This record gives sequence, C-alpha cells and structure tokens, in this order.
Amino acid sequence: MTSELLLPSIKFFSCVPSLACVGKEKTGGLLSKLKGAIGEVMYGAALHGQVSAVLKTRMYIEHMFILMILGDMLGFPILPPYYSLRLLPYAVPNVQAWKHRFYRERDFTDVIYG
Amino acid sequence: MVAWGLREVVLRDGVKMVIFAGKGGLGKTTSSAALAYAAAMEGKKVLCFSTDPQASLSDIFERDIFGKGEVEVAPNLFVVEIDADAKINAYIQEVKRKIKEKYMMEQIPPEIEAYIDSSVAEPAMYESATYDAMADYVAKGEYDLYVFDMPPFGHGIRMLTMADVLTSWVEKLTEVREKAREYDEIARRLKSERLVKEDEILNELYEIRRKLTTFTDLMRDRSKSAFFMVMTPEAMSVYDTEKALEAFRSIGIKPAGVVLNKVLPKEMADNPSPYIRNRYRQQQEVLKMIFEKFGDLVVAAIPMFPREPKGLEGIREVAKHLVDGVTRIW
Repeated sequence: MTSELLLPSIKFFSCVPSLACVGKEKTGGLLSKLKGAIGEVMYGAALHGQVSAVLKTRMYIEHMFILMILGDMLGFPILPPYYSLRLLPYAVPNVQAWKHRFYRERDFTDVIYG
Repeated sequence: MVAWGLREVVLRDGVKMVIFAGKGGLGKTTSSAALAYAAAMEGKKVLCFSTDPQASLSDIFERDIFGKGEVEVAPNLFVVEIDADAKINAYIQEVKRKIKEKYMMEQIPPEIEAYIDSSVAEPAMYESATYDAMADYVAKGEYDLYVFDMPPFGHGIRMLTMADVLTSWVEKLTEVREKAREYDEIARRLKSERLVKEDEILNELYEIRRKLTTFTDLMRDRSKSAFFMVMTPEAMSVYDTEKALEAFRSIGIKPAGVVLNKVLPKEMADNPSPYIRNRYRQQQEVLKMIFEKFGDLVVAAIPMFPREPKGLEGIREVAKHLVDGVTRIW
C-alpha cells in the first residue's frame, strides 16, 4: 500500500477527530464529552483499521532498515559487498523469487519479533 | 606540451585537492610532502594527509606525528598521519557510550556488544576509518589545499571505490528511512496528532551523506582536484602504472599526470663504475618506453638523490624538482 493511495482518504477523514476536539472549552461539560465520544467512535469505526495497517507497514520498513544496517548480526554480509557482487551473476534469476519470499506476510522477522 | 613541473597544475587557484597514488616505496609520501611544502610556501594553508599505516610522514619530517592529529611542521604546513586503529577503537567506545547514555543502561546487551566488538575485525573497517577521516577534513574546509598520500596501489583503488559503495549504501538507507517517515506522517494525519518527532537517524544519514558527497564531488571535479601517479623508471613500474591508470579511469578518476621518481641524473652516464653506468643505460631504455606509453602525461621528474631526502631541507630539494621542474628528461 503506498502513501499516494492513502492520501485522498486521509484528507477526507483527518478533519473528523479534530472537529470532535473543538468542544475543548469547559463550557458545555456533557455536550463536549458526548462530542468527544462520538469522535472516538468514528475514529474507531473508520480509521483504526487504516492506522493499524499503516503502522504495521511502518514496522516492516523499520525491520528492513535494521536489516540493512545490522544484517551482519543475522549472517547477512552488508559491507563490503565485494563477494556478494562476485556471486550476484549466479543469483540474478533467483533474486525476484527471493525478494518475494522476503516480503511475504510471514517472513523470518515474524520468528524474531513474534 | 604540458608545463613541466607541478606548479602550473596544482598551485593555480581553485585546486583544493591533490592525490598521489602508486605502488609502495616509490615516493608517494615524499612527493606529497614536497608539494604540500611548496604550496605552503606560496601562502596556502595546506593539510598533508598520509593514509599509509607505515608512518612515513613521521619518517620524512623526522618528527613523531603518528596519531597526533594536525601538526604544523612549517608555517601554513600541517601534516596528519592517521592512526586508524586508534580511531576505530575510539569510535567504538563512543558508540557504546552513546547506547548507554541514550537508554540509560549500565551494561550494553551482550548480543549488541558482541556485534560491535566483532565489527572491529571487519576487513573494510580500516579503510572506512581512514576514508572517513579524509572526508571529515575536507568537509570541515579549514584548509586551502588538501594533499592526500594514498595507500599503496590496491588499497588506494579500494579506498576510492569505497566512496561509491558507501555513498550508494547511505543513499539506500536514506531512502528507506524517508519511506518510514512518510508512514509516520500518514499515521499522524489519520490520528490527527501534532508533529511527528524529528527522526534522529535521518538527520545522521543526511550528515553522513553530506560529508561523503562533499568529498567525492571534489575528488571527481577536475578543476578542483588533481590526481598524480608516482612511478620509477623500471619496467615493472611501467606495467603497474598502466594497470593502475586503467583501474582509476574505470572508477571515473582521470590522472592529471605521472611523476617519475628516482631518475639517475645525466652525469651518471660517464660514471667510472660500470654498475652505475649500466643502471643508467637501463633507465634510459625504460624512459623511452615511458615516453611512448605516457608521453605528455609525465609532468615531473625527481632525481635519485645521494641520500634519502629528509627533513624540511630534503623536502625543499625535492620540491625544486617536483614543482619547479628543475630536472628535465626530454
């Protein structure tokens, strides 16, 4: 899921919870509480799923990043790439399949991070 | 015909970096020191940086400067001989300190600590540290001219290709990090929270990228940097230089010239000793070969001195030949 796909829906929804916050002033106690509650319900109904999805993707990117800098820790040689370059020509036909496996919903990061 | 001597190539305004490369023991350090000295005499603030682990600048200047940082050996002439091992150790201690401080830990988790310690043994670590120090000095920009004495051939090439490897790696990391930030931003807008806190990693990456690109851009800019190969009039050296030039060209570095060192002076042709006369004759044959192969690329010749050129006195003598082109071969 790319950010471009998400953006229109954000523009649409992002005004909703902030509207709920308008009644922050202590004047109408019950009314503002009600507004707040409605805001939270709407957030839960409409956005929570999306936010979770975004955060999950964010987590995957984070794991990817960690892999890129600490790959050695898991046995992935990162720098210098001298030997991997030498082997790359042999690996080229398999790279696509390897990537696919790596990006799968259940990959090895699930094993590590539970 | 290119001007003889390096004065024209190097001392004009705008040249910020000079690199000397070549096999070990041919006179890279001597040439670097002599050029740096000549530039300093011209009133430029010069930093002469040796990447050689053999402490040869210390030897030439007859002062212990190894691992001592920038040492001013003559007015405006600063020399650095990096102690890469010490730098790596200091770097690692700093990383550990940061971890402890950031997470308020007494002890770094053993797994992390073992990883950090084992990275010292990483083969590219030494070059990375040296390279980082070079890039650091250039990025700080406190000098008018930087003279780099490269490690012997193979390492020299590896060090320069390192620039590309590191840069593209950092590029990739930045890309991933920026992607992560995009998602932070989306999550923020969905939850209508205020600003996402600044990403420290991203800032670090930008900083590293800035440093590396300042250095590589300068290195590749022919109007601002000059790259010289040092060789001796021996057949072996000719082949090596040819190969090295090719390798450097393949990574986008064009030579500004070739410097000949340890050339026997003309009067040796009539030396009473047949030993020296033969050596002289042999050198003359190789010189012919050099002229055919490199021609105009040869920009200076330094003669073989009766004794090793050392101290400021010796360096001044070398500079006469290297920079002013006192010795002519053709």
